[in-house]
This record gives sequence, structure tokens and C-alpha cells, in this order.
Amino acid sequence: MTKKDLQLAYALAIVCFVVGIISYAAFPAKTPDTPLRLMFHSSAGKIWFDHDTHADQAGYGISCEDCHHYTDPYKCGECHALESDDESVPKRSDAFHKQCIDCHKEGGAGPVECSACHVM
Amino acid sequence: MTNQKKFIVSHAPFWHDGSCISARSYHTMLAALPALLFGIFQYGMPAVGVVTFSIGCAMLWEVILNFAMKRSVSIGDGNAAVIGLLLAMLLPATAPWWFVVVGTFLAIVVGKMIYGGIGGNSFNPVVVAVAILGISWSNILDFNEAYINYDFSFAMLYPLATLKAYGVSAVSGFNAGDLLMGKQIGGIGATFGLGLIIGGIYLIIRGIIRWEIAVSFLVGVFVTAMLFNMADSSKYAGAGFHLLTGYTLIGAFFLASEDSSSPVNFVPMILYGLFAGLMTVLIRNIGAYIDGVIYALLVANLLSPVLDKIRPKVIGKVA
Repeated sequence: MTKKDLQLAYALAIVCFVVGIISYAAFPAKTPDTPLRLMFHSSAGKIWFDHDTHADQAGYGISCEDCHHYTDPYKCGECHALESDDESVPKRSDAFHKQCIDCHKEGGAGPVECSACHVM
Repeated sequence: MTNQKKFIVSHAPFWHDGSCISARSYHTMLAALPALLFGIFQYGMPAVGVVTFSIGCAMLWEVILNFAMKRSVSIGDGNAAVIGLLLAMLLPATAPWWFVVVGTFLAIVVGKMIYGGIGGNSFNPVVVAVAILGISWSNILDFNEAYINYDFSFAMLYPLATLKAYGVSAVSGFNAGDLLMGKQIGGIGATFGLGLIIGGIYLIIRGIIRWEIAVSFLVGVFVTAMLFNMADSSKYAGAGFHLLTGYTLIGAFFLASEDSSSPVNFVPMILYGLFAGLMTVLIRNIGAYIDGVIYALLVANLLSPVLDKIRPKVIGKVA
């Protein structure tokens, strides 16, 4: 290993380290206003949900308030807590199960079995 | 025939051909460039951040360890840079900065330096790091979750996760040409199959990796996947799918062939590659994990010294 190799390595290390920090600082991960896809975490297995296909007119074209109850869509977790005794606002898992399965049954399309959604 | 001279060694002094470890390292980085540039082009600046920060952190960890161990600074050989680069190529472009810091620590310190540095490690440092990261923070290495905010012109589902979750029928949409051309999500530098193959061939021609390991690993994956597929094609995906998805190609050309953790003789190299390929498909098809390359390579690394006990016959036996 020559002195030139070491100098080159120091230069590479410093440049990469600085560029890395700048890239992380200047280009933080962007989240779109309307989610494309969502990954719901649950003890029975994660659920990969294609929000875009459900909401987009080219997909199923479901309007926001059909699922989010209001024209101004709140995030599900803002009202539906992980645990809840309030019958008017069911806990998050019950709300999801009811919303998804009822709609899938009603439309005669989409999974209704546990293992069809809790797969990831 | 009895007078045939098989092996002649002259007296010292010998002439050094000028090759050195740093040249090997930089050739490896050059070979990784097609697949890496494709990943950067696809994922943009976040990928640049992960790759550069990973190289920088890996080299920094090595310097810190050099000082801690009161040894001369060894980053000049470029090995730390290669480890940082390969680690970044396996990570999603959305990996947070602390994940890269921990990952490079695991690769350089736990995977390499505690064995005494380059050449002393029994396991591939990058593989060790990804194995620990995958067990500790599986959600960050879940490519479906990592890229939920990205939208490309192709299916935004990680092919191997799709196979595991939804079965063979769900992966029929992935064709070999698209997978080869990188139309799949995955690690920053692990999705562009053609680029990885070009890089691998370059390394083989340069003599930096041994073709025996890369080819036997791919043959191991292909044959095992083909046998599974022949046994039940409705349950197990075809061999081509396994070859072009996950970490298979980067594993064959950049991970399995790492100098220190792979065998050196012909038969052991073939057995090592075949075994790693077999284990990869076994883990994918009947194991719990989505991709088997990392754990298959760890087990193969473990077998490497035992396999090297199979030695060639001594040339020119003295009568």
C-alpha cells in the first residue's frame, strides 16, 4: 500500500462522508399529499394496501368520504385508537376489518379472508 | 512422458507484477458501477445519500478501529470502501442515516476488524451486517414498505415478497426481460441484473473473482429452483425467476466470491457455490425468510474452511 493509495482513500472517505451528509440533509424523504400505498402493521402480519388503486379514477374510484367519513380526509389513526371502549368510534383494527371486509363483500370483489390481507 | 517438466520455480529475487489490493478494490467498485448507477438513476438523490454515506462511514469506522487497535491506517487498500459500497447496494434508497451508521459498524467492526482486518474474517462482512440488520430492523429492509411513496412504471411489489405472500400466480406478471433490465424494486444496486452480470464478467476476466464460485452458485440456484418447479409448478416459481430476483446476482458476483470467506481450491469452490445456491432456494421456498441469499452465504462461509480440506494432488511428487 503506497502513500498515494492512502491519500486517495482519505480523499474518497472525506468526499463520500460529506456528500452523504449533504444528501441526507438536503433531500429528505418526501411523502405525497395523497398516499400511493400504505403498509399497516398488525400482530397477525403486515397488510400492504394499494391506496392509489382504491382512490384513483383509473382504479376503483372510491371517493374519500366513503372510507374517511368526511370530505376532508383524516388519517384513520387520528380518531380510531389502537384500543377503545367507545362503540361509536371502534378501535382501529375493528374499524379496518369492518370497512375493508364489508366493502369487499358488498362489491363482490377483494379479499375477505384473514390470510388474504395479513400476508406480509 | 516421465521426463515432462510440470512445474518450475526459479530462485529469488522475484519480480512483482505491480498488482495490489487497492487495484483489486477499485476494480470491484468499477465493476459495481453499472448496477449502482442504474439504482441511483432510478431512486435519485436519496440513493446517492445512502451510497456515499455508507462508503464514508465504512472507511471512518476502519480508521477509528485502526487507531483503537494501535495499528497503521489500512483504508488505503480500498477494502473498507468496497464493503461500504456493497452494503449500500443491498439497502433500500430510503434507509435512514443511523441505519447506515449501524450497518457499516456491523460490517467493518463486527464483520472484519475484530478478526484482525482484511483477510482474517471467516464471514463476508457485508453479509454479516445485512443479516443482523435484517433480523433487528426487518421493516426497514422490507422493500415493499420502503418504497410505498415511490411510483414507477412497473409493479411496485418486491418480487420475492410477492411470491411468498401471494403465491406463484401473482408473479406471472414479472417477465425475465423486465427483471434483467431492472424493472423491479429492491436494493439500490441489486435490481439491474444485466449490469450485475456485466460487472461480474469484468471481475472474472480481471481475475478478481473466481468464475467457479459465481457460476456454481448460479447453477446451484438454477438447478434447485428447477427441481422445485418441476415437482410442483403451482407452488414453486421457475428457475429464471429465482436467478433474476432478490440478491441472487449480486450475491453470485460480489458477495459469495469474497476472498477471505470463500474456498481457494477448485472442487471446494464448486461445492461451496452449489451449496450456497441450494440453500438460497431452500430458504426461499420452504424457509420463513423472503430472500435466502444472505443466510445461505453465512452457512456456506461457515463451511468454507472445511471444504478447503479437499486438496488437489501434490504436483511433481518426489520419488
